[in-house]
Amino acid sequence: MRTAAAWLLTALVAAAALGLDQPPSAARLGQPAGPPLTGAELERLTEELSSLMRCPVCQGLSVADSPTPLAAAMKNEVRELLAAGYDRQQVLDYFEQSYGEFIRLAPRAEGFNLTVWLAPAAILLLGFALILARRRASRARRPAVAEADAELEAYRERVRREVAS
Amino acid sequence: MNRTVLIVGTLITVPLLVFLALSFGKDPRAIDSPLIGKPAPAFALRDLDGQPLSLADLRGQPAVLNFWATWCQPCIVEHPVLMTAAREYAGRVRFVGIVYQDEPELIRRFQVERGAWGPALVDPDGSVAIAYGVYGAPETFFLDSTGTVRRKVTGALGRMQLASLIEELP
Repeated sequence: MRTAAAWLLTALVAAAALGLDQPPSAARLGQPAGPPLTGAELERLTEELSSLMRCPVCQGLSVADSPTPLAAAMKNEVRELLAAGYDRQQVLDYFEQSYGEFIRLAPRAEGFNLTVWLAPAAILLLGFALILARRRASRARRPAVAEADAELEAYRERVRREVAS
Repeated sequence: MNRTVLIVGTLITVPLLVFLALSFGKDPRAIDSPLIGKPAPAFALRDLDGQPLSLADLRGQPAVLNFWATWCQPCIVEHPVLMTAAREYAGRVRFVGIVYQDEPELIRRFQVERGAWGPALVDPDGSVAIAYGVYGAPETFFLDSTGTVRRKVTGALGRMQLASLIEELP
């Protein structure tokens, strides 16, 4: 009985010690959704995900491109999460929960954000539509010019006749 | 023709002007923390003497969580404000510092010279600062007694501001 209690105590102390060194991410992220990454694949995905994240202390730089200590710490965090098996969605969500959508260099294509994605195409289409409309209008005007020409020709003919006589 | 130009021009410029007018005077970098109203991110760190302190230890009392650093000029300005408040609210509100991108030796010297208003927890890899979405120092989080983030303030706190934010905490 006493040994059991001693074991339980040891286990509790060990659990507390482990808990102490757990990163803050562990509590919020839950279970890793993918396999733990290592080596070249880990580096590749770390680089890819940090290039999608905005460095909070820079002007329009990604975490991958920023030389600041905070960006370096964030990149390390990305690497650690990927190495622990969290997938790209979990990693990006984790940073978004802390920093908000600001952390995404490319905003999500939904809701009001869609304006950013669709406005250029819409403006381009509008431009084409305007050009087409104007061309059609000018084509429609051409017969009128021909009519005016015919009327003028009648006058010219009269002038020619009168001058000749 | 001139009418078309006028209409199209108006359609383009008016929304732009409205957008600019609405955004004018706002700090484009001031973004509300998504953590407001949410449980504070858990942490388990050690202070300069190796004493552990975790978020769970703070439960039961409101807490002021301040990210600071010795190299940060506004933190030096803010330091006496926190010293006074920590004394005034002793026993009612916990004041906890998390030192951000700094050396333990420099922190110790800073506290010897200027005093300490609470434990200075060391965040060696910056992971706690990242979990709280910290941009720079100082940033202060106000947690209620259940460990929920109520407010976040970026930049040095003033005496009155700090007092009123603490009084606001349930």
